[in-house]
Amino acid sequence: MAERGKGISGPAEGLERAPSTVDEDPIERIIRSLLDSFPSAIADFQKLRKGVLRARIERRDLFKACKYLRDGLGFEHISMISAIEYEDRFELVYHIASYQHRVFLELITTAPKDDPSVDSVSSIWGGANWQERESYDLMGIKFNNHPKLERILLPSDYLYHPLRKDFRG
Amino acid sequence: MNLYEFCRGLIHWLVDLINNLWYWLGDVLPWWFGDFFDAVGDFAASRGHISVMAIGLEVLIIVIVALINVLNFIWIDRKLSGRIFDFYGPYYVGYRIGGWLQNLADGIKLFVKEIIVPAKADKFGFMLAPIIFVGSSFLALATIPLSPHFGVATNESGHGVSAGVIIAFAFFAIAPFSILIAGWSSNNKYTLIGGMRSAAQMMSYEIPMLLCVASVFLLAGSFSFFGVVDAQHDVWFAIPLFLGFVVFLVCLVAEIEVQPFDLPEAEAELVEGWTTEYCGMRFGLFMMTSYLRGYIGGALVTALFLGGWQGPWFIPDEIWFLIKAYAVFFVIEWARWSLPRVRVDQILDVGWKRLMPLAVLNLMIAVALKTLGWF
Amino acid sequence: MAEMWINMGPQHPMTHGLWNLRIKVDGETITDAEPEVGYLHRGIEKLCEDRTYTQIIPITDRLCYGSSLTWSHLYCLTVEDLMGIEVPKRAEYIRVAAIEMQRIASHLMWLAAYGADLGLMAGFIYCMRDREVFIDILQALTGSRITYNFPRIGGVAHDVPSNFDRDALRACTYMERRLKEYEEMFDRSKVFMMRNEDVGVLRRTDAMNLGVTGPPLRGSGVRYDLRKDMPYSVYPEFEFEPATHPDCDCYARYRVRMDEMWQSCRIIRQAVQKMPKGKWRILAPRNAPEGTGVGRVEDPRGEGVMYVVGDGTDKPYRLKIRSPIFVTVSAAPKMLIGYKVADVVAIMGSLDMCIGETDR
Repeated sequence: MAERGKGISGPAEGLERAPSTVDEDPIERIIRSLLDSFPSAIADFQKLRKGVLRARIERRDLFKACKYLRDGLGFEHISMISAIEYEDRFELVYHIASYQHRVFLELITTAPKDDPSVDSVSSIWGGANWQERESYDLMGIKFNNHPKLERILLPSDYLYHPLRKDFRG
Repeated sequence: MNLYEFCRGLIHWLVDLINNLWYWLGDVLPWWFGDFFDAVGDFAASRGHISVMAIGLEVLIIVIVALINVLNFIWIDRKLSGRIFDFYGPYYVGYRIGGWLQNLADGIKLFVKEIIVPAKADKFGFMLAPIIFVGSSFLALATIPLSPHFGVATNESGHGVSAGVIIAFAFFAIAPFSILIAGWSSNNKYTLIGGMRSAAQMMSYEIPMLLCVASVFLLAGSFSFFGVVDAQHDVWFAIPLFLGFVVFLVCLVAEIEVQPFDLPEAEAELVEGWTTEYCGMRFGLFMMTSYLRGYIGGALVTALFLGGWQGPWFIPDEIWFLIKAYAVFFVIEWARWSLPRVRVDQILDVGWKRLMPLAVLNLMIAVALKTLGWF
Repeated sequence: MAEMWINMGPQHPMTHGLWNLRIKVDGETITDAEPEVGYLHRGIEKLCEDRTYTQIIPITDRLCYGSSLTWSHLYCLTVEDLMGIEVPKRAEYIRVAAIEMQRIASHLMWLAAYGADLGLMAGFIYCMRDREVFIDILQALTGSRITYNFPRIGGVAHDVPSNFDRDALRACTYMERRLKEYEEMFDRSKVFMMRNEDVGVLRRTDAMNLGVTGPPLRGSGVRYDLRKDMPYSVYPEFEFEPATHPDCDCYARYRVRMDEMWQSCRIIRQAVQKMPKGKWRILAPRNAPEGTGVGRVEDPRGEGVMYVVGDGTDKPYRLKIRSPIFVTVSAAPKMLIGYKVADVVAIMGSLDMCIGETDR
């Protein structure tokens, strides 16, 4: 039994660059163009099952990558923003969906414990607004450039962030 | 023999009966005790005072008849809505008579509730609004005779008030004023909005209503109830003035504020609208007056369009009048529970843009009919 | 009258559930709106970190009490993705039949509340009465009327009762007849159309960008139904059409839900007639492997997503729940600005709010 808090680790599946043919799988095209645009930032690409992809990205490239996802690759819908706390870091999992290509992308980024902040994507997708407020409220992650980063589910003068592991009861 | 004569005869008989006691006391008791009781007997038997008591009794009878009709209406409303929705209406209270006593039970419940006046409400206006509302509705009721023999407005000459219909509508139209007072004096944003909407709705539907009534006056040639009803002895006005009849019914529904025109008291948004802050029997008065205005409206429709109290000889006139008024009320309730609510600006739209041209058209039809000499 | 902020809620007959809608009105017109949620926050995500995987199933039922089977099914899908187990076919068919019945019941409850809000009490009574038909079948199947505790990780809790297929087919026939009556009562009522047409318009691009999913999205012309476009469970084997409507107003959302009820009857018929024999549950392992699982379903209110992180023990490390109404309500100001106060009821009613899943 592994220890709690160490998180997911493991080798990425091998992903060969598809040859450029005329009708290629849109998913392959997406992967290829993402890798082309952000080669240094994206690591650990995995094709989980039909239509579901996972990628990791650096914190500083998140905003540019999301903008590229929406404008260039047609990912119109941000489905969910989850915040997970491990022993040594915070992980933010962005689930982004594309209506046209039937693809569900899981984009994971990390933030260090002492500076849990990332750029807000609510100017790209309006649907991210309340989700980011919820992550701030329950987990304490700050989103830079968010239009209104306030508590949403808990009372506004509440002192703690309950989903953190050091909050008991 | 009309109602006034009946009351007068009854009071005369009662006074004679009781005066036997006073005069006997006057004979038996000595000195000025006896004179005192004799004077009481004379006082009661004098003509003016008998008239006053007769009028009092007449008013009492009419009010009781009206209130019993209102109770019936409430009961019909609840039973009918129950049947439309496929459940029983009132069932247990008054089990054997179909739940009619539920009204009394609700009334008693409202009486025993605590009356709360909001702290910052304008107390004078708060107390005045129900008084005006109920009072004006009863006054409107008083002018409507149920038959040539039954009504307050049949005086000793037997002809009734010569402008009866106009007076009835005048009293009917005081209501928006009291609703504004009620909504405003409650010191509550929602009731203010509700009161304003309600007043706007009522005032804008007065106009098509009165235009239809004007067309009836044209054909009848008289402003009084008796004149209007007597002019319908050949054919009810609902048939040549069918458009006016329909427009009048729609305006009536908007005036008494039932669905589909009851947005001012729409429960879904403003809780109870302009009556939110009223508790106990004051609220009960508003509710009762709402049904009372339904009764008045039904009576007006009957008198103006459906021939009033004219009918076959085997049913007395008053009962025939009531049957027609109940039929109108039945149709209104049927529409009430089948239609969703119209939004308030759409209500005003319908009133000003659709109903008023139709009412004017109806007036032109009435003018045409009159000049053609058919009436 | 000057502009003022009005609070609709938290205690209000119109708001289904406990939330607050602040609107800024200028006379009768709305100039700004701000929904406030969080009155029903129960800390479900934190609760789930202390319970075993099977103990969480009743909690997920209570996420949205209006359609609780979809949420427990979503949770079981997510954990089955994490654990990598494959559910037997019969269990999948039972799940689908129950979920589509739940969808009809949820939409009927929405229609009842919507009719009551608009003043049509007859709609309320008739819809609740027809909902009883489906709730009764689900009670025979699962034992409860609203929060079922029926799906398990690896299947369903028990097999269908006898005569389930006969009852389900009878219910579908009854429902199709009643849907025709509802269309006559609602669609052909001029007053209903006046209240709903061109009210609460949400443009297509706005809908996609703001994260709106489900009937509001399909009512804005986007043809995307998770059951067809990214199918899960055994949906690829069923024939049905996702319901869309090109107008973006309240009438379109109403129409989408009515069409979804028609399609659900179709699916129930197919599920019940094609149900294979076999096991209805396989036992899942007690401890989950390390890893993650994601599940996505088409809830009656939109797209529900769950993300579970397992760490080798029998309790999840993190369970994240995405509720469709949480995001749709944040898009509500877009639909409210410019309309009248009396339209708030129609617009918020057409979104089908259920606060249990919003606040978790």
